[in-house]
Amino acid sequence: MQVLKAVITAAAPNQNTLPLQRLVDRNGEEKTALQLIVEETLSAGVEEIGVVIQPGDEENYRQAAGSSIGALRFLHQDHPRGYADALLRAESFCGDDPFLHLVGDHLYLSASQTSCASQLVAMACQHECSVSAVQSTREHRLPYFGIVGGNSIPRHEGLYDVRSVVEKPTPTLAEQELITPGLRSGHYLGYFGMHVLTPAVIECLHEVMNDPSHERPSLSDAAAKLVSRGKYLAYQLHGERYNIGYQYGVLIAQLAIGLSGRDRDYLLTELVELLAKRAEGNPIATAEQSTSSEGVDR
Amino acid sequence: MTIAMQTDPFIDTILAEDGDVRDRSLESLCEDQSLERLMEHAAALDRFRRDEDNLYRRVRALFFLSSLYRYHVPARFDGLGTGSIPFDGYEHLLGRRFQEAIDAFLKAQSQQGPSDALASALAQAYHELGFQTLADQVRHSVRTVRGNQWMFRLGHVAEHPLRLRRELDVLGNVDGVQPVLRETTAVRMDVSHSAWSDIFFLGMDFPQGARVVNVSVDLGVRGRDDCVRPPIETYLRVIDRPVFRLVSVDLGASTEVTTVAEMFDFARDYLGLLKAAVIASGVVPPGLEGCGSSMASLLERVVGRGRGLELVSKINDIPKGSRLAVSTNLLGSLISNLMRATGQIRTLEGPLTESDRRLVAARAILGEWIGGSGGGWQDSGGVWPGIKLICGQEAGPDDPEFGVSRGRLMPNHTVLEQDRVSDEARKKLQDSLVLVHGGMAQNVGPILEMVTEHYLVRGDAQWTARKEAMKIYDDVVEALCDGDIARLGELTTRNFEGPLQTIIPWATNRFTDTMIESCRSQFGKQFWGFWMLGGMSGGGMGFIFDPAVKQAAQDWLSVELVRVKRSLETALPFAMDPVVYDFAINDNGTSAELLRDENAGLPQKYYALMLPQWLRTPLRDLSPQTRGELSRISSRCSESGSSGLDASELLRSVLPTAKVNVGSDSGSENEPVEDSSLKEILHRNGFDRSQHEQIRESMRSGRFGLAANRLARDLKIADVESRHVTDTREGIDEKMVRMGAEAIAAGQVGVVTLAAGVGSRWTQGAGVCKALHPFHRFAGRHRSFLEIHLAKNRATSRRYGGVIPHVVTTSWMTDGAIRTALKENENYGHDGPLHISSGRSVGLRMVPMVRDLQFLWEETPQQVLDQQQQKMRESARSAIANWARSMGEGSDYTDNVPAQCVHPVGHWYEVPNLFRGGVLSRLIREQPALKYLMLHNIDTLGANVDPGLLGLHIDSGATLSYEVIPRRLEDRGGGLALVSGRPRLVEGLAMPDDRIEFGLRFYNSMTTWIDIDALLGAFGLDRKSLDDAVTVDKAVREMAARLPTYITLKEVKKRWGHAQEDVFPVAQFEKLWGDMTTLSDVDSRFIVTPMRRGQQLKEPSQLDAWNRDGGSDYVDSLCDWR
Repeated sequence: MQVLKAVITAAAPNQNTLPLQRLVDRNGEEKTALQLIVEETLSAGVEEIGVVIQPGDEENYRQAAGSSIGALRFLHQDHPRGYADALLRAESFCGDDPFLHLVGDHLYLSASQTSCASQLVAMACQHECSVSAVQSTREHRLPYFGIVGGNSIPRHEGLYDVRSVVEKPTPTLAEQELITPGLRSGHYLGYFGMHVLTPAVIECLHEVMNDPSHERPSLSDAAAKLVSRGKYLAYQLHGERYNIGYQYGVLIAQLAIGLSGRDRDYLLTELVELLAKRAEGNPIATAEQSTSSEGVDR
Repeated sequence: MTIAMQTDPFIDTILAEDGDVRDRSLESLCEDQSLERLMEHAAALDRFRRDEDNLYRRVRALFFLSSLYRYHVPARFDGLGTGSIPFDGYEHLLGRRFQEAIDAFLKAQSQQGPSDALASALAQAYHELGFQTLADQVRHSVRTVRGNQWMFRLGHVAEHPLRLRRELDVLGNVDGVQPVLRETTAVRMDVSHSAWSDIFFLGMDFPQGARVVNVSVDLGVRGRDDCVRPPIETYLRVIDRPVFRLVSVDLGASTEVTTVAEMFDFARDYLGLLKAAVIASGVVPPGLEGCGSSMASLLERVVGRGRGLELVSKINDIPKGSRLAVSTNLLGSLISNLMRATGQIRTLEGPLTESDRRLVAARAILGEWIGGSGGGWQDSGGVWPGIKLICGQEAGPDDPEFGVSRGRLMPNHTVLEQDRVSDEARKKLQDSLVLVHGGMAQNVGPILEMVTEHYLVRGDAQWTARKEAMKIYDDVVEALCDGDIARLGELTTRNFEGPLQTIIPWATNRFTDTMIESCRSQFGKQFWGFWMLGGMSGGGMGFIFDPAVKQAAQDWLSVELVRVKRSLETALPFAMDPVVYDFAINDNGTSAELLRDENAGLPQKYYALMLPQWLRTPLRDLSPQTRGELSRISSRCSESGSSGLDASELLRSVLPTAKVNVGSDSGSENEPVEDSSLKEILHRNGFDRSQHEQIRESMRSGRFGLAANRLARDLKIADVESRHVTDTREGIDEKMVRMGAEAIAAGQVGVVTLAAGVGSRWTQGAGVCKALHPFHRFAGRHRSFLEIHLAKNRATSRRYGGVIPHVVTTSWMTDGAIRTALKENENYGHDGPLHISSGRSVGLRMVPMVRDLQFLWEETPQQVLDQQQQKMRESARSAIANWARSMGEGSDYTDNVPAQCVHPVGHWYEVPNLFRGGVLSRLIREQPALKYLMLHNIDTLGANVDPGLLGLHIDSGATLSYEVIPRRLEDRGGGLALVSGRPRLVEGLAMPDDRIEFGLRFYNSMTTWIDIDALLGAFGLDRKSLDDAVTVDKAVREMAARLPTYITLKEVKKRWGHAQEDVFPVAQFEKLWGDMTTLSDVDSRFIVTPMRRGQQLKEPSQLDAWNRDGGSDYVDSLCDWR
């Protein structure tokens, strides 16, 4: 199996401008989030990238894409019908080929020399099936992710055979159906925002779109069907992902990228100075207010 | 495990796989064993249970040990030997450190040798440890059910993983109305009553025996409701204030919870059940207890900034104690509602799926545990539709119980569809069964403990009965499937009269027996049977009739039940007047509906409850949502149909009425006292206002109080020596017996039965007349305390000849009831002279001082309760202290029925009352030979006119001879002591240190032999001056002044609403008869009698042990029944 195509979804209302944010990469170069995502994608050997966007956004995206524009094809989602529908906009782009899929509001930072996308694509090629990247997620973050329940595959560290997938489950359901042996108690496998999918998923996406019981179907709903269509794995890869859609998401992603790169010392010095200069006394907001802010994902 | 252990037959029984060996009864194992052998077995069992890993083997060994020490070891002492219980062991016992308590008692036993006192302490400690172990296991299982675990891990509101479904919050989009999620739920009735096999402990140890048929029903109260409907409705909606508002429209209670801590404060108000539901549903998970957060921050996370939730419950005024598991199903309904709203149950509307129902049932069990209450595992049956079989399940490898207990915590539910029970059969059941609430609301907790214990020690008769009940269950299912309701009636009656009463004789009572008898004589063969609904009878019950007479029977029952209740209400604790229900089988179980727009209303009674609060608040301070609500009320009043509101009821809720009489079933008798009637009662019954004011003054200033009751600490108090008592346990000199027998024959002795009290502990302050409570069946009928005492009198006079006049002393609270009962029952067939000595004085109870409450709770030894119950208790205590402060400490307690406000002033007064009321003078006139009286408490059932003891008293020439008995653990409240070198009785209230009481070997049974002339002499009176009222009054006042006054706290029940009860501790003063021994000029002696003779029945939980250890047989042998 070879993965030469990729799909990036960036059409969700309120999130369509996130890939246009500007950040500084590990080498100190200013880039847009879109460029960083595209670079991640290209690092895995992908040659063509379909970006699903709202129709009015194309011009902005073209400008934000920089030098990689040649690899990009823009696919329009005319109506905000949800995640599953957005992916289906790439149906003809993908054809019968497997594809790498990333979400447009996440940035990735590998913990090894190999990029996150490369790690995932390598795993998919080795096992010749759909593989979703996952990470161990504490139960209080269940309302934000698709969660995978599975069994670890012997002799393959971090690789799981997926048994079930539920989008944003309650902890009650998670405890009953999504426990994965080997994880700490209260921890589940949460989607990482990065998948290698085979064409079988397209059929599943169509099914969930036609199922009236799903109001706005997500990829998880389709992936839950994928489980019964053949081999479907989850891989806990070496790296971190940063959701730039949260409050302070861009700042935290920037710090993580900066601290792992060339300007680490400079950033640390600035941070220490900031901390040292902070006026004595209480922060303006109380601790309780800040902890309860919706969207801050700790 | 050593070989010696394995060869012990007791341990073999516990370990056996073979049912025949495992189910051997303890009795059969103990037969023919000597005391030494039994002690060896006990030691082996104790070693075994310390090493054994398996929970149920350990528990069974503990109950074997408890029964050995309670029943089998003491029987081999021959009533001899008095040991003392080490106080440190007792302290461990109170602190729930059972293991340490057992060690302390065993150590004392190895030093002093076995004794009755130590055996009673060990029995109690093993018993408590057994139940604690079982409770811990249930708690562990509840927590480890998958889907419940996460709630115990969550520690901070910022990590709350639940979010409210968006459909429930539409504010902000339009200025419309927030939708309301309404859940309607059935209640359940238990057809088979499979011998309480739904107790968790039984189901988990003996899953194959735990089976019930359980039917979900809709209800209506006959004559009140025009249709039957699911009795439980719960409502949830989003509100625009960041609080959790809880409302119970039936209890008329609402609160706004603003902190997480408040949600865990269950006894603070009447909304404990709603709070338990919020916690068990995971909205405020149990792990958050003690997190210190505000409710607003939690709600912001779950619902949204500035948003709150409102949860409303309504049970259509079904009275408490209906035995239909209303509270468990209400809990289930609330939990289901909240779980739907937070997406834990995927369907927002309609019925639940099987897996969701199981989840709700598991959470309801959790909720009951959190709320400190307890139901059976079948109780959430109302969540399931129609008729179902609920059966215990063996634990499999995937269950958390596997390897711990044989059965699972959660049973299996099999709904019987139309192919098993046809529509016709269902209709037949509905056409024959009359459901009623008999009006009694009793605590079934002690009964469930008794059942568990009987099961674990496999009592011979009880085990056979259980097997029979299991057979009856199969037949019940068959009869139900066949639609043969006549046979069903026959089976449920056989079950009730046979196995159920063999296991627990107190499953029935005279009220139930009378009703069954009445039905039989009224309807003959057309009365098909009686159906006990669970727990114990007297509350919810079923009567099965030929459909041809059902209507007539229903009408007749609604009158007859009330008539029989009236005749027994002074004797049995009724909480309300009986009601007859209409019912129908519910085929939905629990079901939900999202009410939107103009339909998004709450029940009528909700508005009646909230409207006055809203109108009192300035409009600008009301939230926009409430303002909107107010503006819609008027338009809804003009609508007709179900969504319309009754304007007149709303108007009544905001306007003052002459005398509020909302929600009381029982009419005027349960209304708080009107001033005039209380004044009149006090005036008529010799209430001494100036003494009352003096006592109040002394109480407020601290001169009187619980602390002041105690003797000075520097007094030397020690145990008596053998020369201070006459020990009769090894028999009495024949000469004395002859002397006594002659005195009886010559008519020299009379009996005084003290029956002025209402037995606060017997009915937890229900205020009925204890003397008249028909608590046990002797010679085929339930007999009351009074009836038993008269039967003993008859037996003695028949045996020795002569006439023994019998006096019953009464107080204002018991006088009318006792006179009526004696008249109606023609003195229970007693033909000897019977007099009633009416009380001459009453006191008025007072709101206690917080100082005294704190003294009671903190300074006196108190049994620590199981974890959750202890939390409940602490929360209730702070509520009671607040109540005392807000009512005014030391003020008159008048907020209840008169019988509960007025109190008898202590049993000391009952003797002088014989003088003042002229009863003694009449006795002497009628029977001039009369020289002696035997005075005894109403609950000292073994006391009779024993010729030997009378002979001893005559021979000693003493004024008063007090009977004392060897102390057991449960005999608290003072004893015989040497105070500054003089033997006297010291009341428990007066003990300067609780430790001292444990050094005293003898307990005062209160039975006293009185030399009439000597006692009159002590008062400065004689037979002649008895007729001079002025002299008698003066003598009594002078004597009273020489005796101490005690302040005591008594629990009284306040009844309200539909069989709801609150218990308040109130202060009263007392003078006690035992204090006559403090007077040096009164010659008092002390006689040690066997324990049986002085044993007192203070609490219904003692009944089982009293019945099993031969206490009831002993009493039976003393009586001559009519």
